[in-house]
Amino acid sequence: MPHAQAIKEFIVEEFLPDMPARDLADHDDLLEGGVIDSLGLLKVIAWLEDRYDINTDEVDLDPESFKSVAAIEAFIADASRTRAEAA
Amino acid sequence: MGGGTLVEEIGAHARRAPQETALVWHGEEVTYGDLWRRAGRARARVADTPGRGPVGVPAVKSPGTIALVLACMLERRPVLLPSATLGKDVLEQLYEQAGAVPVPERPDDDTPDDDTPDDDTPYGDLGATRDTPADLEAPVLLLTTSGSTGLPKIVPVAGGAVDRFTAWAAGAFGIGPGTNVLNYAPLNFDLCLLDVWTTLAYGGRVVLVDPDQAMSGRHLLETMERHDVHVVQAVPMFHRLVTDAAREHRTTALPCVRHAMTTGDALPGPVLAELPRLFPKARLHNVYGCTETNDSFVHEVTGEQAAAAAALPLGRPLPGADALVVTDDGTVLEGPGSGELWVTTPFQTSGYLGAAAARPVFAPHPTGADDRRWYRTGDLVHRGADGALTLAGRTDFQVKVRGVRINVQEVEHVLLAHPEVTEAAVLALPDEVAGRLLHAVARRTPGSGLNSLTLRGHLARGLPRAAVPSVLRFTDEPLPRTSTGKVDRDRVVKDHFTKEN
Repeated sequence: MPHAQAIKEFIVEEFLPDMPARDLADHDDLLEGGVIDSLGLLKVIAWLEDRYDINTDEVDLDPESFKSVAAIEAFIADASRTRAEAA
Repeated sequence: MGGGTLVEEIGAHARRAPQETALVWHGEEVTYGDLWRRAGRARARVADTPGRGPVGVPAVKSPGTIALVLACMLERRPVLLPSATLGKDVLEQLYEQAGAVPVPERPDDDTPDDDTPDDDTPYGDLGATRDTPADLEAPVLLLTTSGSTGLPKIVPVAGGAVDRFTAWAAGAFGIGPGTNVLNYAPLNFDLCLLDVWTTLAYGGRVVLVDPDQAMSGRHLLETMERHDVHVVQAVPMFHRLVTDAAREHRTTALPCVRHAMTTGDALPGPVLAELPRLFPKARLHNVYGCTETNDSFVHEVTGEQAAAAAALPLGRPLPGADALVVTDDGTVLEGPGSGELWVTTPFQTSGYLGAAAARPVFAPHPTGADDRRWYRTGDLVHRGADGALTLAGRTDFQVKVRGVRINVQEVEHVLLAHPEVTEAAVLALPDEVAGRLLHAVARRTPGSGLNSLTLRGHLARGLPRAAVPSVLRFTDEPLPRTSTGKVDRDRVVKDHFTKEN
């Protein structure tokens, strides 16, 4: 998971500022766990657009895609593939 | 009590049992005889207070102040008891609104009575209290409401209301000669109607806690143990302090306590769960009241409820008291549901004095069903299918966040239900993007490694998604509190949610 560390650092800085990034597990449920709400989702998406150059107009935005660090990792991989195919 | 007024009954105890202890202060005992003589001596000071209206007596807790209040009652002058912590300007405004004149300074009145061992003032011969019957509708005490900002509201309580209250409280909690009652609250609090005035009216012994030592759980435990306290009524902060201290100092239990009451705020579940161990022989009661109505409901906590650390129901209205649940559109709710609690009691005020008198909080029955005067408490309550009422927060703590109506106190209650959270405050603060966002600060138990991932999970399980605070901060320090022990929300914003933080 090449992006897991960066994702964790972002999530922790933005939503869980009292804890170190290493305490966040790949599969912790960020939606059920009350970490990311709809407003938080917008922040995550804006960060992904900015950092990974993902055009979210071209991909399906299902909240489930952002429910954990692992899910976000998979979302990045999918979005990169979509972009590669489109190119 | 023999059917007399409060001050007449205290005088009667002084005649019948002058050597019985009335007050315990810093370990020293003040007998009914001493107290009555001191009240008699203080009468001249009250008589010298200009006018015939209310007399202002700063509520500095001491036997001397209690004697001075009795002297005002003997002189048939209502007593305004402003908090000892009020600033000079606020105090002046308060006196003006009450039409009160501060009692002239004469510090020598506070000299202990043993200076005059030969004082042969005959008990009960202190003048004309019975020359004319007291007007039971006339106010004897002018209480003040709390509030972290602005001028406290002045709440007159009539002599008859005081006597009806003390009669109820003495019966409900077994207060009489030989009963030791802890007084935790400052003297200006309505709680003193029970701890101090009921106890004195019925010949018991008041163990006064010095406000300077009121934050030391250890001191409170030692005081209760040393003076064999039978009855204790206090705000949840007290119960938290004593349960924390009992854990730290391994005090096993205080079997002397027969009745323990919590009042004034919701008792955090984890604190409630520890009370049966600390007070193993006590009946636990949740008492609900406002300064405006005095105690209105009482609920005796069952063992299961304490063990479940659950939110406590308000319980039954006291004898003569009554309650309504009124919805937003003014309908009186008969079945289950939520609404504002309206209350009427035999102990209630006739209305505020001064500028607050214009506030529309005293109202006739919403449908004209009776001609009593009802007090709109501003408390939101929920009535369950079984008819039990539970507090759901304040109408003024209702906020809208991103279109969803949320009661910030409900969020606080969920935070406090976590075993590692000892204090919590939730506020809706302006946000550039969302309009308003919920901010929470939680104080952890000492040594707790609780983090926001765990606590957010706890919140998400207990609340609708929109009510999970967007910003959650931790502190290991006590939250700032007002003089009444409630979280000071303005200071929480300053301390935890300004830019620098």
